[in-house]
Amino acid sequence: MENRVSLGSIQKAVWDGRLPLEIILASSESRTFDKTDPYLIAYPRISYLPSLLPRLRDFFSAFLIEPNSQSHDGWFEFEGVPLKWHYPVGLLFDLYAGADPASKTAAGGNESPESGSSLPWRLVVHFSDWPDDLVRLDADGMVMNDAFINSVKEADFLRNGTAKGIMSLSKEDSSGLWNAVQEVNLLSFQRISNILLPQLSQPFRNVPIRIFLPLPLDAESSSLKVVQSPLPPSIPASNMQSSQMLSSRSGFTIQPQTVGTFLHTLLPNLFPSRRTPVLAKPVLHGAVIPMSAPIEEVVRSSAYGDGWAYLVVRMMG
Amino acid sequence: MAAFCSAFPFLAHSEFEGACQDLADRCTSAQNIGWSDIRLLTKPDGTSLRITKCVDIPSPLESPALEDFEEPEDEDPEALVRAKPQPSLQIDYDILLSPTYQVPVLYFSLRWHNHGPLGLDEVYQYVVPERYRQELKSVGVMGGISMGYHPDSGAPAFFVHPCNTADAMANIADAHSVTPGSYLLIWLGLVGHCVSLHVPRELFASCIC
Repeated sequence: MENRVSLGSIQKAVWDGRLPLEIILASSESRTFDKTDPYLIAYPRISYLPSLLPRLRDFFSAFLIEPNSQSHDGWFEFEGVPLKWHYPVGLLFDLYAGADPASKTAAGGNESPESGSSLPWRLVVHFSDWPDDLVRLDADGMVMNDAFINSVKEADFLRNGTAKGIMSLSKEDSSGLWNAVQEVNLLSFQRISNILLPQLSQPFRNVPIRIFLPLPLDAESSSLKVVQSPLPPSIPASNMQSSQMLSSRSGFTIQPQTVGTFLHTLLPNLFPSRRTPVLAKPVLHGAVIPMSAPIEEVVRSSAYGDGWAYLVVRMMG
Repeated sequence: MAAFCSAFPFLAHSEFEGACQDLADRCTSAQNIGWSDIRLLTKPDGTSLRITKCVDIPSPLESPALEDFEEPEDEDPEALVRAKPQPSLQIDYDILLSPTYQVPVLYFSLRWHNHGPLGLDEVYQYVVPERYRQELKSVGVMGGISMGYHPDSGAPAFFVHPCNTADAMANIADAHSVTPGSYLLIWLGLVGHCVSLHVPRELFASCIC
């Protein structure tokens, strides 16, 4: 049954995914200290937090001690950690919220078991005292747009081996891609990203995946440990796994690179097995991702708007 | 004597490390190269080269852009210190190998005595030589220099876009004769110039490989 699920339907589910957020104004910035009403929203996982700032600035305007602050002065914090706004909120949640990821073994179909205390995700918004460890935003949103397009370029370079695709994208399509992500408009996103993506029959050169490692509990900085390495979509077949063998044109036997094979290669201590999570499990969009999933399919179906799949490694037990 | 670049116009990890080591070694012997420091930083997940230099710029009193930063705070005990002209801006350049583009990438951050972080406007005003300004500003969403996070420290930093580096290197250098050491110097000439990181002539002279 699983094989009948199309890449498109997974992509739609990813784009439909929403997180309930409960956002409060930093008490030190509020005229009513901690008595300010929270702002509640079901926010798309693929969206970026600063897009909420104009609404939040309006919502909290009557409470602000500093009335002259602008919406682009706004930044978010979770339990004291300033959140890097250039990551989509779904990734930030997977990184910091400490929620149990959904998995196949958990009962209850569509509902994720991100239950208990982690939902709604409680964030604090500030409009003063910009922290030194965050890149500043600008009034026109150019800094965000630039960060997004840089990320898109990197993904494109990995997929094609050149940056020509994104460089040749028209200005309209380039800003259209960012608008489609901001508006969570999957149809207009697909129209433009199909110009960039290699045809299904043509494999990626490398697969744009970044792995985020667990943070030590006593970490003093909010600096994240990120692992990235060129990941081809196919690897030479090992004798151990004969089930998914393919023949390459050159006659060598190859097999699809899976989540399990690359995690085992890059992080053998955390992933001693290619097939079963033993010490840690990979999480994407709030769910444990199967070790057997071919990584090119993972990225084609479940990448964030910038073309990257961001996997968060969660320790087990 | 040295081996040629194996993946030109890209640079392999080991070749990048070797070239950085080489440049750092050569700089300790080259006198008066105009940099205040060059250091090889070796970490488990990669080598990088840090070059520090100071740029003379007009004193804050004569510089309207920087004056804006100084909010009038009469009770500030440091006000006297701040009013003193501090004519040099410290720039820390970090050269790293991009895991995506497989070419060196230049990150840099600015330190100005008693000031908070400086923005992109100050980068164009004080770091980018005038003849490159228009060209650099005209590419991409907001120019050829972006703000991002330093891959090692995680702190905000500027970087020069590396996405066209491989093509540019292929146009400039000869694939059949470029060694990792000369690759790094040519790259420094290509990318460094835009942000006032000039390759001292002494280094080229000692690198007729």
